[in-house]
Amino acid sequence: MQIKIDHLTKKFPDTTAVDDFTMEFESGKLTALLGPSGCGKSTMLNMLAGILPATDGHIYFDDDDVTDMPPQKRGVGLVFQNYALYPHMTVLENICFPLEIQKVNKAERIEKAKEMAKLVHVDQYLDRKPKELSGGQQQRVAIARALIKTPRLLLLDEPLSNLDARLRIEMREEIRRIQQETKVTTIFVTHDQEEAMSISDSIVLMKDGILMQVDKPQALYDDPNHTFVASFLGNPPINNLEGIINDAGDFELKDHSATIKLNEKKGIKGEEVILGIRPEAITIGPDFNTKAEILERYTMGKEELANIKIGSAELRVYISVDHDCKKGDVIDLVLRNKGVFLFDKASGKRL
Amino acid sequence: MRFHFDIKKFFVYFFLILGALIMIFPFYWMIVNSLKTAQDMTAYPPTWVPSNWFNFDNYIEAFNKAPFGIYFINSVIVTISCVIITTFTTILGAFAFSRLKFKGRDLIFSLMLGLMMVPFEMLVITNYTTVAKLGLIDTLAVLILPFTSSIFYTYILRNFFLSIPDSLYYSARIDGASNWKYLWRIMVPIAKPSLMTITLLNAITCWNSFFWTLLVINNDVNRTLPYGLYAFMTEGGSDTKLMMAAATFTVLPMIILFLFARKYIVNGVARGGLKG
Amino acid sequence: MAEAVLKSKKRSSSGIFNTKWEPLIYLAPFLIGVIIFTLYPFFNIILISFKEGYRQMTGAFQSFGFDNYVHIFTDPYFINALKNTAMYVGFVVPISTALSLFFANLLNQKIKGIGIFQTAFFLPMVTSVTAIGLVWKLMFNDRIGVINAMLGLFGVERIEWLLDPAMNIWALIIYGIWNMMPFTIIILLSGLQNIDPLYYTAAKVDGASSRKQFFRITVPLLAPTIGLTCIINMISASKVFGELFPLFSGRPGTAYNLFTMVYYIYYEFNVARHLGYAAAASIILFIIVFVFTMIQLYVQRRWRYY
Repeated sequence: MQIKIDHLTKKFPDTTAVDDFTMEFESGKLTALLGPSGCGKSTMLNMLAGILPATDGHIYFDDDDVTDMPPQKRGVGLVFQNYALYPHMTVLENICFPLEIQKVNKAERIEKAKEMAKLVHVDQYLDRKPKELSGGQQQRVAIARALIKTPRLLLLDEPLSNLDARLRIEMREEIRRIQQETKVTTIFVTHDQEEAMSISDSIVLMKDGILMQVDKPQALYDDPNHTFVASFLGNPPINNLEGIINDAGDFELKDHSATIKLNEKKGIKGEEVILGIRPEAITIGPDFNTKAEILERYTMGKEELANIKIGSAELRVYISVDHDCKKGDVIDLVLRNKGVFLFDKASGKRL
Repeated sequence: MRFHFDIKKFFVYFFLILGALIMIFPFYWMIVNSLKTAQDMTAYPPTWVPSNWFNFDNYIEAFNKAPFGIYFINSVIVTISCVIITTFTTILGAFAFSRLKFKGRDLIFSLMLGLMMVPFEMLVITNYTTVAKLGLIDTLAVLILPFTSSIFYTYILRNFFLSIPDSLYYSARIDGASNWKYLWRIMVPIAKPSLMTITLLNAITCWNSFFWTLLVINNDVNRTLPYGLYAFMTEGGSDTKLMMAAATFTVLPMIILFLFARKYIVNGVARGGLKG
Repeated sequence: MAEAVLKSKKRSSSGIFNTKWEPLIYLAPFLIGVIIFTLYPFFNIILISFKEGYRQMTGAFQSFGFDNYVHIFTDPYFINALKNTAMYVGFVVPISTALSLFFANLLNQKIKGIGIFQTAFFLPMVTSVTAIGLVWKLMFNDRIGVINAMLGLFGVERIEWLLDPAMNIWALIIYGIWNMMPFTIIILLSGLQNIDPLYYTAAKVDGASSRKQFFRITVPLLAPTIGLTCIINMISASKVFGELFPLFSGRPGTAYNLFTMVYYIYYEFNVARHLGYAAAASIILFIIVFVFTMIQLYVQRRWRYY
């Protein structure tokens, strides 16, 4: 099912949680609503579920306007951050509950529930109570309960945030698998960029209630349209250098302590800009223009990282193992084409 | 060090045993005297044990002199009705105050909290007039009617309901459950321990209720146990051993209840305090 | 995510649920009872207290004013009731609290058979004051009572607890202390169990003796709970009434010397049939309870460490 939202706005007495959103969610795909906490992503999810009424704008499921439709009529499945399993019911009863409400007969709903339990791999725990399950298992039960009524739309609110690191990786792959097996249009909320990057078909990046960018994960990384997008994605994070474009069209640090030659001239000069350089976007090589001093070199797992200093600016970059430069050395740098972005300082927009 | 520890333990046990004996002595004394013969009673200093532990004559005689069987049945009827009705109104009220949203909810709730400190003793004059005008004086109904709503229990249960995560509610509503269905299928089962506590505390209060009964009940057949016992004392002369038998009969159901449900009762009192 | 609304304005026609009347349906059974038997009588009693010569069934009265109040404050029985109640509260609450603190502390020890001890200490809480009062009457009996027999062992002469008007209130107070202890112990015990054992570990590491631990950790941390139980107990002790019936066969003391606040209300209402006086006395009782409650709320707000 395709979801279309049109000028959707949610205002609370003191904030605007979702500000004039217009976009589409692709049918049968897994989409992540990504953003820092307080960016309005959960508000967005709750409006899609029908728990929160919209202040303005419309939501369409295919061609139905569901904006004022109560949640139970929308045909959505919702998995809560704390799973919201009913503590007094067994796993089987929990999964059956939506069908019990729909007055499906008992034999049928148990059969369906067992099928769902098998899909999410909890079929051996049917008689247990939620508190006898691990966090990951509870999560699976919650997903089964959301899926049993064959929803048009599956919504997951921070589905992995209550799990420990190892389980999180396992569960995100499980969510991916379940989504691909069922082909249900799925939207999940997360503040973890890695989580969003690794399993979603596309990412909606939000900040302060504003839609920043919608794209495929890799495209978002490779081609951010705003300094916030560039900064939010990537670990180690992108290096942001403040400065101006000089007469030659190159980047000059704010305090004129260094100049960095740009591969691609934008045809502007004198503007205040932010130069974003991803850690992997630097090569050591003969450039004779940009010099950097190595402040520290260290190994993180299989990666070789270094803190370097260009003029007054400090950067964290990857350095190939082949270079046996050490602390205190001065090296020459070349920027790669990929992973270097120029943003307008005032608006944050990509130039 | 080791020696010091034992001294401490000895004192703990010594005072605990002493204290426990004082606390339960009246119960022991009640039972002992209910089994004594007329001759046992006149001994001074009083004998610590009855001459025959299986002398139930006093019970038989007390039952012959006053209809304690009827008092007992009345007490059971009043207590059970009161508990069922109050629990029902409490569940619905607590749900409205915790889960439903409506204009003036907080104002009404604050008003209720204010009324919680009004002592019942202050209300009896008007309440007597009210039930008299309804023609209910000297009926069992009048022992139930003024106690069908409890602000105190509603307050306790509302607080428990508030501790149930919102997400359970939204989850159920998204699945199409009505408020009514959600309340009885999800909230009430989760609140079972709290409801048990409320029910038990309420049952104890009901069973022991005396002041109101004293005002509105005259007829022998409508008396409950505590009032019947008091009437037995004033009307039936002062044969102490019969009175002890009747007192035992009055107190025993609550003792049994307590022994079986101590955990719930104690937890309830610890969490909310008894009705002041 | 605070303000969630599941109802939609456009769906008011879908039956009894999800309408703006729905909360009322849930609230009605509860509210009807409260309005008829608490709210209305509360305001009505205030009115009655100002009506002189009020007639219960007709509602007729002679004059409106402070006559009833003037009467009760010049009535020696009412003054006596105030004195007795104050004395009862003044003795029962501190003594039962101190004893309860002592026993709660013992009951908090991890020793064998603690469950049995707890049962013994809590048992009086569930029993009718009328029924157990009869046992106390027997125990207080000056000739065959077990209390005089025990005191006799220490050379104390026979005390006429229930016959000598001067001793009546002491019998009531002793019975009251016994009655109040289980509740107080439960509250204090739960307060003790809520104290983080880490404090004791830390104190032990610092070498504090158990006496020092009690006075420097337990008592200060328990102070809010102690304060709270004291006030709750003061409120309930102010309403002492049922205990009088078994002890003195329905009279307030041997020579009508042991009126209490509530007994006075009962007496004026049910025996003397002066409803206005009973109402005025009720208002005074309410004011006392109100003041205690305000102190309680203040204490609760000021004294929260956790």
